[in-house]
Amino acid sequence: MNRALLPEMLHSTDMTVLERQRARFKWQQEQQQQQQQQSFFGDLSGVFQLQQQHQGFQGDLGEVVTRSVKPDPSLMDNGWSDLVGFGPCGYGNYNGSGFDVNCAISSTSSCPPAVVAPATNAKVLAEGREPVLSEKLNSGVARECLKKRKVDKVQNSTKVVAEDDSRGKRIKGCPEDGESKNTQKNNKSSSTSKNSNKENSAETSKDNSKVTEVQKPDYIHVRARRGQATDSHSLAERVRREKISERMKYLQDLVPGCNKITGKAGMLDEIINYVQSLQRQVEFLSMKLAAVNPRLDFNVDNLFAKEAFPAWATNFPASGMSSDMTNRAYLQFNQVQQQQQQQLVTCCGLDVGINPPDMGLRRTISSPRSIPEMFLDSSCFTHIQPSSTWDADLQNLYNVAFEQGTIEASNLLKMEM
Amino acid sequence: MRAPQTIKQEFLKKWILGLQLCDFAKQNMSMLERKKAIKLSADIAIASTRNGMTCWSRALVAKASRDYGDKVLVERMLASESEKLKKVSSIGLIAPNKWVIIRSKKILRKSRRARRVRSSVPLSVLAKSIAKKMVKKRTQVLKSLVPGGEFMDDISLIEETLDYIISLRAQVDVMQTLAKATELLNGK
Repeated sequence: MNRALLPEMLHSTDMTVLERQRARFKWQQEQQQQQQQQSFFGDLSGVFQLQQQHQGFQGDLGEVVTRSVKPDPSLMDNGWSDLVGFGPCGYGNYNGSGFDVNCAISSTSSCPPAVVAPATNAKVLAEGREPVLSEKLNSGVARECLKKRKVDKVQNSTKVVAEDDSRGKRIKGCPEDGESKNTQKNNKSSSTSKNSNKENSAETSKDNSKVTEVQKPDYIHVRARRGQATDSHSLAERVRREKISERMKYLQDLVPGCNKITGKAGMLDEIINYVQSLQRQVEFLSMKLAAVNPRLDFNVDNLFAKEAFPAWATNFPASGMSSDMTNRAYLQFNQVQQQQQQQLVTCCGLDVGINPPDMGLRRTISSPRSIPEMFLDSSCFTHIQPSSTWDADLQNLYNVAFEQGTIEASNLLKMEM
Repeated sequence: MRAPQTIKQEFLKKWILGLQLCDFAKQNMSMLERKKAIKLSADIAIASTRNGMTCWSRALVAKASRDYGDKVLVERMLASESEKLKKVSSIGLIAPNKWVIIRSKKILRKSRRARRVRSSVPLSVLAKSIAKKMVKKRTQVLKSLVPGGEFMDDISLIEETLDYIISLRAQVDVMQTLAKATELLNGK
């Protein structure tokens, strides 16, 4: 996935939210990684995209997750000896490009703050590689952790890799000196695994816990973490939890105001509130439309729509800013209203700018009030008795315009009058 | 794989078509009836932009055709849509076995509540269980909000919510602009 392409993709198109999110993650990864990793990610994400297109992504994510992973067989073909473990380092070797010794070595040390690495593990590993690590440590480790985390996000959708941030376990070892260390670590891990019966011959020597290979396409392959239970129940639970948290992250981007909230309960609260407010808005808008049109013939509107809607359609604020009435969005909303107002004026040739600023300004004035109240006040009031309140509204608007200092609205008013 | 713009345009087209089918001019409908018809056509339109792929769209169509008295109208609106939606509107979405599932879950829940022992548990476990209860409660509420949510597990619930939120936003935006357009027209 090229850098150039991604911003366009993000803005323009026909991707579902999840695809967009994944694309964004991948883009971030590319931003932060170095060249060799970029080439790898290009491959991986390219394959990922290919796989999705091949499946004809239909919004059924369950399929995507459980579908067979195409890159894996090819990875396997390279042989485990080339792959330094099942992680970014390993993937870095996918192309057969230079084996990144530093990569492997640095993965042994504990990652900086983002990852809580068991101190003991880190020490054990660090001791063995102290001299080599010293100069590579800072750069390599940070890179490693970032890579690890990001790759997991990519991998999660294609193959569930339960192996998360390195806890000092991903010592897949350099081929030079790795094997002995690996066998040491293998002894520590337990040997049960969820898909043990499907396991390939290859790899217990490479990893601390059981590695499950892709044998059949329908199974989700999980690796147990070091120091954690490896029975099938907890593995399955962990997979499920990670899936859920991944999707909650997407929701976090979608629902406004969720950036600061951590934790499932708070997030779910916000989501519930948001969905409820959207549904209430639909109810209210349909009531409003019913009130406005006694006959409900939309033919006249269609003529209007041909002119105005295409322009409006392009001017629609992305991701529902116009329907978001939180305090932050009030200012945005006002701006949007003014934009729309100008658009209307230009494309329709009407002095139709009265109402939008009316709406916008009223909303900014009465910001503490809740949405339904405002809607009811401003709109129903204006529409159910159009003639009598029209002048009052204009007067209000005129006053308000002066108070707010919005010169545009007042100019329009003057033109209208 | 849809841009927000295409959703909105599709929704608007289908909605206007549905409204025209509603045949308002003949009858003297009260405002409430008009509102119901508008909402019905809007719901069916936004659900049909999904072409029956998502669970919530099918559930929405089923609910709409159930609540609204005139099934013929609903079927006419769906005339050009995919087979799935047509099937959904004619049959009830909820198969009998799903009711059984729901009922048995309720029974399980009640029995679990009954036989719970208030033992003294360590604080960490208590905190965890409280957190789990909170999440569970909110999940229940979300399931009641998203159409067709009662039958989904957690993971697919979140996916459906994602999709549903996007479609709802598109719906609200289009309805708002249409409302504004009619206001302006009437104001003139």
